[in-house]
Amino acid sequence: MSINNIIKKTCKALGENNKPTYVVMAIATVKGICRPLFTMMDKTESPETKKYTALREGLTEAIAIPAYWGCGEMAGKLASKCFEDKHLASRAKTNLMFIGVCTAALFVIPALCSVAIKPIMDKLGLKAPEKKEDKNLDINSQAPQMTKTPILQNNKTALNYYSRAGMFNNNIYSGMKAGRI
Amino acid sequence: MIGLTNIVTSSQLASIAQNTTQSVALETTLKSIGRPGFILIDKDIDSNTKQYAAAKEFLYQATCLAVYMALIVPVFRKGGFKFAKEKIFKNTAGFENFANVKEYMHYRKLADNPSVKNRIQTLDKEILTDANKTLVREKYNDTLIKELHKETPDKFTDVKGAIELSNIIGSVLGLAIFAPQVSHAFIHPALRFLGLEEKKQPQQKDQQLDTTV
Repeated sequence: MSINNIIKKTCKALGENNKPTYVVMAIATVKGICRPLFTMMDKTESPETKKYTALREGLTEAIAIPAYWGCGEMAGKLASKCFEDKHLASRAKTNLMFIGVCTAALFVIPALCSVAIKPIMDKLGLKAPEKKEDKNLDINSQAPQMTKTPILQNNKTALNYYSRAGMFNNNIYSGMKAGRI
Repeated sequence: MIGLTNIVTSSQLASIAQNTTQSVALETTLKSIGRPGFILIDKDIDSNTKQYAAAKEFLYQATCLAVYMALIVPVFRKGGFKFAKEKIFKNTAGFENFANVKEYMHYRKLADNPSVKNRIQTLDKEILTDANKTLVREKYNDTLIKELHKETPDKFTDVKGAIELSNIIGSVLGLAIFAPQVSHAFIHPALRFLGLEEKKQPQQKDQQLDTTV
């Protein structure tokens, strides 16, 4: 069979019934292959991070494919039970399948991912790579700088030196100040 | 209960469900709500990380949707229809009745209407949104008007299938390969603009170079 005939047959089938699950499953499948591949090709990340991210992305899409299919088909099967009229049942089947796919996108897949991915990653012995720097640490701002005290030639009080009394007896100026004035 | 039945049997919802472009756009919108939402309610992550991850996910889905609607839909819809008409279905009846996707979709909408009377009334009323304000009916040839007068008009499933197939190919290529690349370039400047990511300091490079101190 030539490619033209295959395309014609596919077009005919899609024209008669374009199930809402087809496109989402196709997108999830290609995403499941391409996203981890793109991640692994990234040269800026460390191999550990790449491995972790790629597997996580692959798992997300691997969960999404059966979730879309399951939700769509299960919702679609409700139509034949609820509607006796053939025309209404056919329309309801399409609509319920679409609602099922939307529910999968909105609730089921994010929920399944948040529940299943972490234990799977732990079982595989992969842990989230630690960040190189703590986000809460402010590494950009500089520590307060010591300002240079202007040295005045004719004014001794402006000089930055210890007073004679405290020169060898630092404990007057150190320690907790509680109880002192 | 009646409201729910009306939604489930709605012809408009069925038309969206059967239309790849509209259904994918709606699902991407739902993803952009659902995924950040689930990140935000996760109790194992600290609030800063949650905010950052949710914003990143939302921006990713929003960019994908924008790229998809702006670039992929028009290109693949028009291109796919033209390719199918001129190459794949060259000698197949049906394609010659429609100049573009828009014309077919209009016909299909009328053909889906179960009442012949309503179809013809709608056709006679509708006016094109051009300067001449011509009737839509004038765009229809005799074959299509004859079909619309039938109880069960021909829906030209080959044409519909060709449009949907090109939409599916466009959606897959667009959402799985092209849009993520574009969003990757857009997300980090957007996060910096929102104050969720720190700017790269130009001094850092100099600091690294200064090894003598």
